[in-house]
Amino acid sequence: MQELAERIATYAAHRMPHATDVAASHVDRIHGGASRETYRFRLRHREAGREVERRLILRRDPPGSLIETDRAAEFAAYRAFHGTAVPVPEALWLESDSRWLDHPFFVMEELVGFEASPQAILAPPYAQHHERLAREKWSILGAIAAADPEKLGLAGALEVIAPADAWRRELDHWTRVIDEDELAPQPIIRAAIRRLRRAPPPPPGRLHVVHGDYRTGNFLYDSEGGIRGILDWEMAHLGDPLEDLAWSLNRVWCWGRDERVGGLTSKENAIRIWEQASGLRADPAALRWWELFSSVKGLAIWISGGHEYQEGANKDPVLAFSSIWLTNSQDRAALEAMGKLS
Amino acid sequence: MKPDAAKLLDIIAGKLLFEIAPSVQPSYRQSSVGLTGMLLGMVREEFERAAARRVEENRVLRALFSRAAKDVADTELRHRLESAGAGSDASLLVSALDKSNDALRALLIELHAHVEAQDADWARAVDGEIWSELVASTERRRFALAPF
Repeated sequence: MQELAERIATYAAHRMPHATDVAASHVDRIHGGASRETYRFRLRHREAGREVERRLILRRDPPGSLIETDRAAEFAAYRAFHGTAVPVPEALWLESDSRWLDHPFFVMEELVGFEASPQAILAPPYAQHHERLAREKWSILGAIAAADPEKLGLAGALEVIAPADAWRRELDHWTRVIDEDELAPQPIIRAAIRRLRRAPPPPPGRLHVVHGDYRTGNFLYDSEGGIRGILDWEMAHLGDPLEDLAWSLNRVWCWGRDERVGGLTSKENAIRIWEQASGLRADPAALRWWELFSSVKGLAIWISGGHEYQEGANKDPVLAFSSIWLTNSQDRAALEAMGKLS
Repeated sequence: MKPDAAKLLDIIAGKLLFEIAPSVQPSYRQSSVGLTGMLLGMVREEFERAAARRVEENRVLRALFSRAAKDVADTELRHRLESAGAGSDASLLVSALDKSNDALRALLIELHAHVEAQDADWARAVDGEIWSELVASTERRRFALAPF
């Protein structure tokens, strides 16, 4: 990691021309989303006669990942929501030139001292705070849905489409991922895709910011039940806010292996909190469409990771694990959404 | 092979998860070792049932195709259903069973889309049979560690 530390320091010095004695240390790779290599590190420098140390996160494009994502969109989303009711770390630098660290990357603040694990949230000291965690989780998602992409400056960073095309753009995209990456035929998800195309959902009234991967596991929480940072905006886009709500309710995130969505609360309570916070109504039929869509998207992600692993593009065991562990669960979730599980 | 593969994989997975992973640093490697332990646990589960579930599934699909072929009017599809229905698994190697299973499930997708487009009692009956098999196939593939 010493070489990487030196290269990070060289880059940081380039971005901070007034700083001196720039040094990076404690570089440590962490599992932080499966689409990019994530490292935490400390950056020290002198500026205006004082020594400054910051704990930062580097998110670097890997050779292969679970999902192909747009780092500029992720960076823009962090920038847009920083300082709002949606807690996010401060995004510092976005770099597309591979000469610095071999691949494009961005750097952001590290939020220190919090937990992200979807398993840890099920046990003490966090388990006693599920009511508050649920309230915060779906209130923040409601705040994302209520946000105005224009005012946040995201309309220029994320693709603008007609609201009526939101469902088609997403379904086409994830169907294409399955077409390209499936290692074996997927009869359940193919049936789900046909069903979704036969009966599209009503369009949203306007375009909303969609986080794209809003779930327990992608936010930082504290031991009092507070949510301190929403992470992994790598699939952020403009679209139908029910897409995010449905994804957050996806059965494969029932980490407690019971009916609690996200391992935290009942589905009905989650929807109620989201409706209150967003000021929107989750039309039951439309939400059912997006819930089934969530299984299509989920399966696409799992088989895409499995494909990367099998092809040797990325040998991170998280890709093989997610693919094997969740593909069958996602099929079961799709069966349930289609009313086929008794 | 002795010790049994299942026992071997159980022990190795346990060692990786509970003995080796906790002592590995940095955290990314620790996490990778833990994931590898859990992966081996799933490999152990699949190793035990691999041939049985593929043989069973291939048999069920061939029988389903033979029944459906009698009512399918599309000549080309009917011939392929008849041909697949008359097939068998000559080799019990998992790779060979996988190859036939892939071909059979690809044909199942075609048949499913075909019957969905028909407004007839026979088509609804085949559709029901297909869904029953898809539920059963999902149960065959289920892992003990699965979140749902």
